[in-house]
Amino acid sequence: MKNQKKDTAKRIVRMLGLAILSAGILTLSGCGKKSEAAREVAIAEGKALVEKGRGAVPACVACHGANGEGVEAAGYPRLAGLNSGYIEKQLKDLGRKLPPAGVVIESVAKDYSKTPRIYSDLTVFSPGLRHDEVMSSIAKKLSASDIHNVAAYYSSLPFQAKPVAADYEVLERGQDLALRGKPEYGLPACVSCHAPDGEGFGADFPPLAGQPAAYIVNQINKWQSGDRDNDNLGLMRAVADQLTDADKLNVAAYYANRSLTVKGK
Amino acid sequence: MSLSRMHKYLLAAGAIFGIAFGSWVIADSDTEDGDDLPTLDSIEVRASMQQPKLTLPNELTVVPVVKPGEYFVPPRLEDLTESKYADEVRLGRNIFVHTQQYAKRYVGNGLNCSSCHLQEGRKPHAAPLWAAYPMYPMYRDKSRQVVSFQERLQDCFRFSLNGIAPTLDSREIEALTVYAQWLSTGIPMGTIMSGRGFARIDKSEDPSPFNGAIVYKNYCASCHGDDLMGKKFTNRDGYMFPPLAGPDSYNKGAGMHKVKTCASFVKANMPLGKPFTLNDDEALEVCVHMFIQDRPWDPRKGMFMSIFMPVTEG
Repeated sequence: MKNQKKDTAKRIVRMLGLAILSAGILTLSGCGKKSEAAREVAIAEGKALVEKGRGAVPACVACHGANGEGVEAAGYPRLAGLNSGYIEKQLKDLGRKLPPAGVVIESVAKDYSKTPRIYSDLTVFSPGLRHDEVMSSIAKKLSASDIHNVAAYYSSLPFQAKPVAADYEVLERGQDLALRGKPEYGLPACVSCHAPDGEGFGADFPPLAGQPAAYIVNQINKWQSGDRDNDNLGLMRAVADQLTDADKLNVAAYYANRSLTVKGK
Repeated sequence: MSLSRMHKYLLAAGAIFGIAFGSWVIADSDTEDGDDLPTLDSIEVRASMQQPKLTLPNELTVVPVVKPGEYFVPPRLEDLTESKYADEVRLGRNIFVHTQQYAKRYVGNGLNCSSCHLQEGRKPHAAPLWAAYPMYPMYRDKSRQVVSFQERLQDCFRFSLNGIAPTLDSREIEALTVYAQWLSTGIPMGTIMSGRGFARIDKSEDPSPFNGAIVYKNYCASCHGDDLMGKKFTNRDGYMFPPLAGPDSYNKGAGMHKVKTCASFVKANMPLGKPFTLNDDEALEVCVHMFIQDRPWDPRKGMFMSIFMPVTEG
């Protein structure tokens, strides 16, 4: 009798455990489906906006190519396969309104070694500004959900780079800079942040491979002139300040020459 | 019981007088000293361990001015002509940079040689190979004997890479030695080069791990992760940003586990591309934060620790 009672108790416990487990799994899978569905909706809406535009917002495909591959000759960047967090941040920074003229605002300290260190959770770094004649006005018209949808769409696209031929010596010098940097000047190698093949890493470090050479040179120029100032800890600004004109051309040619395959999600 | 009543009274009176006089003297001296002392902020007198300091001295640390010719420039890899020697140099360079692929069987964690010896062992103040090679054989405090460059390389495999030392006649040690010798082309033996080792550290106060956690969060966490476990590639094996703690990091016998060594590296090299951003105290604090994390045991202290007390995943 005692054994039988124990057995029934064990069974009940097991049944209960199974029920709880199955319920948990069901809810988990349901949540997964829900977020997956939300992502698909975002991608679909992003696709509609990218292909047709809306009102004053022109279609993205006009400049960034039908599949987000960019335009080599004009230096329009490719967007296909980029990290969605990166696209979102750039669109927000492009659309951020500059402080109105006439009002003096404390300048954003760019040299973090000179700023007084305030050691609390309130430490404020610059949210980042990025200026572009064409793109800033477009980004200002996008809502937060638009930005999210467009980023979700472009990050889901596959991409296949078409390597651009370049002079052997240029490629050699570009490779030297990309893999080794200039240690004697404290200039780090490109691969140490932008990943070994220049495919980019995470939301902070965008891909260099597969980008038009003109776009890379243009962006480095903007870091130097201050039109772009939205990097993590001011790292890229410190790097760009040490690049000569020849360095820019060599390293851009090297990365335009790389092959790269990004699988779509 | 030989004391008379008179003596007892005298003793008691003496004691009472002594206590009274002593307390008066102490109270008097207290007030006098209090008047002399300047009013001090309690935080200034003793760093509070309960609460992180709100400000740190913001005077700049000494930043080396980069002048052409200040640091040695090793030869370019592209300039190598085709020869057996060049092949050995390229093999050594590949082992150094892609240690996870080329010397995997000797490595017990997720690091490469170039995780610490930055930019393929070329960067000044990041223990460049061209400054190290001419100094060997040299006496080492760690092993208390004169070691050759090859024996020093073995220690890197044992401690920093938490693995097994390749034998002195192995292909890996040979190729790495050739690579280091090629990088130091033209440097006379025994020359102390500018940029050798890491930076110099002078601490002005005891480092606090509380500040270290905040410095880590502000300057390091975006690459090395909030939990110090580094960041792995999504499209391939290995680490994009090396782990600073946990089972895939260096072990407790490594030089980087010493707070001062670690701080002198951090000061001269981190955040990558903005060296000398942190001052000495901040570098020490962030290294104390790294020091208190879990990591593999020192292989000299006993191998049973590694088996029965494995490293947690954080």
